[in-house]
Amino acid sequence: MRYPAFFKARSAMKLASIRPITVLISRELAIAVLLLLGVSFVVFLVLFLSPGDPFSSLLKEQMTSAAGSHPGESAPWYSQYLLWLANITRGNLGTSIRTGLPVLNEVIRVGINTLYLTLGSLLVTLLIAVPIAIVSARHGLTPVNWVLTMFTYVASALPVFWLAYIVIYISMHRFGLFPLAFGSSTQKWNWLHFMLPVLVLGLSNGTMGEVVRHMREELSRVFSEEYICTARAKGASIWKHAFKEGFLIPITEIIAAKIPYILGGAVVVEQVFNWPGMGRMAWQAAQDRDYPLIMAITLMAAIFVRLGSLIHRAVHIVVNPRSSRE
Amino acid sequence: MTAGPVLKIENLRTFFYSRSKQAFSRAVDGVDLALEKGETLGIVGESGSGKSVTALSVMGLVTAEPGVVSGKIGLKTDGIQKNLLQNIEDYVNMTQNNGRIMHVSKDNRGWQRHVDRHLRGVRGKEIAMIFQNPKASMNPFSSVGRQIQEAVLLNTSIKNPREAKERALYWLEQVKIDSPQLRYDNNPFGLSGGMCQRAMIAMALSSEPSVLIADEPTTGLDATIQSKIVSLLAELKSSVGVTTLLISHDIDVIKTLSDRVAVMYGGRVLEYGPSRDILSKVDNEKHPYTAALLASIPTARQIREKSYLQAIKGDVIDTINLPRGCRFYPRCRQVTDQIREQCKQREPDLREIASNQSVRCWLYFDA
Amino acid sequence: MKRYTQHTTEFSDSAGVPFWKKAAPVDRVYIGYGLFIVLLVVISYILGATHFLPFDPQEINMDLLMAPPQTEGHLLGTDFMGRDILSRLIIGIQAYFLPGLLAIGIALVLGTCFGVLAGYWGGGLDIASTFLSNLLNSFPRLVLILLMVAAFKPNIYLVMAVVGITSIPTVASLIKSKIQFLKQKNFIEAATALGLKNAAIIFKHILWHNCRSVLIIQATLGMAEAILIETSLSYLGFGVQEPTPSWGNMVQSGANYFMQGNFWPSTAPALTILLTIMGFHLLGDGLNNILERKRDQ
Repeated sequence: MRYPAFFKARSAMKLASIRPITVLISRELAIAVLLLLGVSFVVFLVLFLSPGDPFSSLLKEQMTSAAGSHPGESAPWYSQYLLWLANITRGNLGTSIRTGLPVLNEVIRVGINTLYLTLGSLLVTLLIAVPIAIVSARHGLTPVNWVLTMFTYVASALPVFWLAYIVIYISMHRFGLFPLAFGSSTQKWNWLHFMLPVLVLGLSNGTMGEVVRHMREELSRVFSEEYICTARAKGASIWKHAFKEGFLIPITEIIAAKIPYILGGAVVVEQVFNWPGMGRMAWQAAQDRDYPLIMAITLMAAIFVRLGSLIHRAVHIVVNPRSSRE
Repeated sequence: MTAGPVLKIENLRTFFYSRSKQAFSRAVDGVDLALEKGETLGIVGESGSGKSVTALSVMGLVTAEPGVVSGKIGLKTDGIQKNLLQNIEDYVNMTQNNGRIMHVSKDNRGWQRHVDRHLRGVRGKEIAMIFQNPKASMNPFSSVGRQIQEAVLLNTSIKNPREAKERALYWLEQVKIDSPQLRYDNNPFGLSGGMCQRAMIAMALSSEPSVLIADEPTTGLDATIQSKIVSLLAELKSSVGVTTLLISHDIDVIKTLSDRVAVMYGGRVLEYGPSRDILSKVDNEKHPYTAALLASIPTARQIREKSYLQAIKGDVIDTINLPRGCRFYPRCRQVTDQIREQCKQREPDLREIASNQSVRCWLYFDA
Repeated sequence: MKRYTQHTTEFSDSAGVPFWKKAAPVDRVYIGYGLFIVLLVVISYILGATHFLPFDPQEINMDLLMAPPQTEGHLLGTDFMGRDILSRLIIGIQAYFLPGLLAIGIALVLGTCFGVLAGYWGGGLDIASTFLSNLLNSFPRLVLILLMVAAFKPNIYLVMAVVGITSIPTVASLIKSKIQFLKQKNFIEAATALGLKNAAIIFKHILWHNCRSVLIIQATLGMAEAILIETSLSYLGFGVQEPTPSWGNMVQSGANYFMQGNFWPSTAPALTILLTIMGFHLLGDGLNNILERKRDQ
């Protein structure tokens, strides 16, 4: 009959360990929102200080399309910021100078394309980098390993536009594909259209070396931890024990850290392949001085990055039992 | 009853290579030990004497390079009979110069693969090991109970997870941990050092091994907890009776728990015999090093009178720069003029001088 | 089979082993190649600045279009307008060398400031510093640069200033973790107890003795990053404009000819980019392995 006390204690402990996780995740969410506010302020600052003074026209546009009252041109900067921010959060990002279409819809449309490109190329990079890292961590420096490591160094330094040229050349002359006719569904090798940019970006976004290095170092570090020695001593599989700290957490960490670089690479890849994504739109917008568009794309890119970081923090909190004590 | 020792270590050598010094650190340099069934053999020595490395070499857990280079470790239990260092000559090539090993070529990866395969039925199942830092030695990402359950599933005939959990809880009770049901779901970081060590002992014993190797089980704990763990180990010794290899630098722990003792210094065994004889203060120990160790333990009188402690002069030997003669010679205080030259030039071998007692010292036999 | 050899034959003290022997052979290769590249870059920069070139990079020679390497003194051939490729490549270094140094300077100086503030004094400064670091990390560099380019004139120094600023978080976190490491080892506590003033502790002990390898490594990686950004930017048409050569716009202008089968005008600058960035990466990694990672026990 000693169980009632034990049950009470047990449920109390369970409650205490559940609550902190949701608390921690909401804390991360709040931090992400604060950071995005900071991002918005930086973007505002850049546009505000710009000699072309995009703001008055921008705000006027936003005001007229929202049918609100006219702000004075000489309003102080903080009220302009707040006004602009209010519009942004309501989804009113103005209209593109070039096309005259509302920016929000445009950006969302291309954002999805870029999301596909980003995630796909991330997958490609990981599929190549992770096996190399695992083999390096397990077996140290062997001749085969050294060749693979050299390969990652070359891949990290490869100019992405040049690789794109090579790939396009091959696809043009071997498969008869013309990337400018993107989207037409009558050709036999059409699926290649979707694969090529992903492959090119996945291979040459410049992060391959870092990913391999990070994963290999974390895995090696975990392999030399004492609890792995214990696992080996009792005949258990060290991979199973090393997984959480040596693989799961580092991989989300490096993904979150490298998303900005992949988005940057996406700008170039989209331009070469004429891929209708955020990057190509940013390039065009920069050429046209299309402020609302480039501003929205910057914000969207920052949102992507923050999302990646948030996912990493969430995984870390859920997996790590120590985090519920912090 | 199988005759002969359960674990017999012969001429074990484990070296580490220091690239910055371009020299070998001879952590274990020719160790011979025999562990009889049912007894507890204690290995005592200062830090750097090679005691832990010996234990790790037995289990094939030495990862630094080159690691184990020669020797024979015979394991003979009711279950199996094998040489744990089988085929080491195939993986290691050594060249000597003047009696000293100067070059070693070793196929590390091949050897590691071979050992992992060869010791598959041995690790955990026949020989279980507990380590020095219990909190760091358990997986922080998994609950304590789950890890014990894993050990049961891997190493005993129990294949049902629920039964394994029952067995894990049984062993948690055996190690006198409070509220085993609760502790089962705790993570290691939530437990104190003492409780973690109890859990590790439970994990080792739940695999039902023939040999238990305890590598400094009390060293990382507070003083009060240390004595509790020592009494736990003594109780388990009488109730479960598993053959144990106990490693510690704490002489009192060794004295309490072990039947026989080996004193190690500089990678070699210097004295070897019943702990009753060697470690009691009745001047029955032979080797000067053992004598000095025992003399350095503060007595009640010394503490009361706040007099100087009897430390051993000099530094612990550096296993990289080894002298030509006896390794303890630079710090030895019992050298006589007769044997001084011998002590400087030649290293004595381990010889039996009384029943069951061996010493490595020129004081007790001629060349 | 791995071979280990005892260095000394006598039963005596193993004397100090020379520095370069301690390094693993692979690291020596990395550093050797990296230093070679750095040397080439510096020499080329000087050659370009003083116009000490084999040919005039702008000189058009319609008789010798797209000549292969080693034609009439053009070591790397000519491009689609008969201009000497090697000279253009050398001049191309001007586009990123000084701006890259600016980026590195900003990143190292300001990054160190932030790192020291966060690590040494901690507390609120640490939180503020982390927040700012995360903020700067939220922008993909190229996108932010495009924003700047749209808002201001596309000035390469401004761009590199942005690159430098966005590199501050990396340097800051490295310095901060170094300081935390030293704190954990009670090093700083001991120094304070000895009566050293804060400034002396920071500059002499922390930064000079402990952090300088980290900073040198970050400098090499920073230059690689600068090359990457500058070439991408001029490829997109925002950096150096034709006819002034930059490695990026050289690749871009050779695009059409590439698709027709004339690979060399685009490939020569691309390979140069590849080899140069690789040089800096390898140098950084080699130095990292030797100075920072303790590969030994």
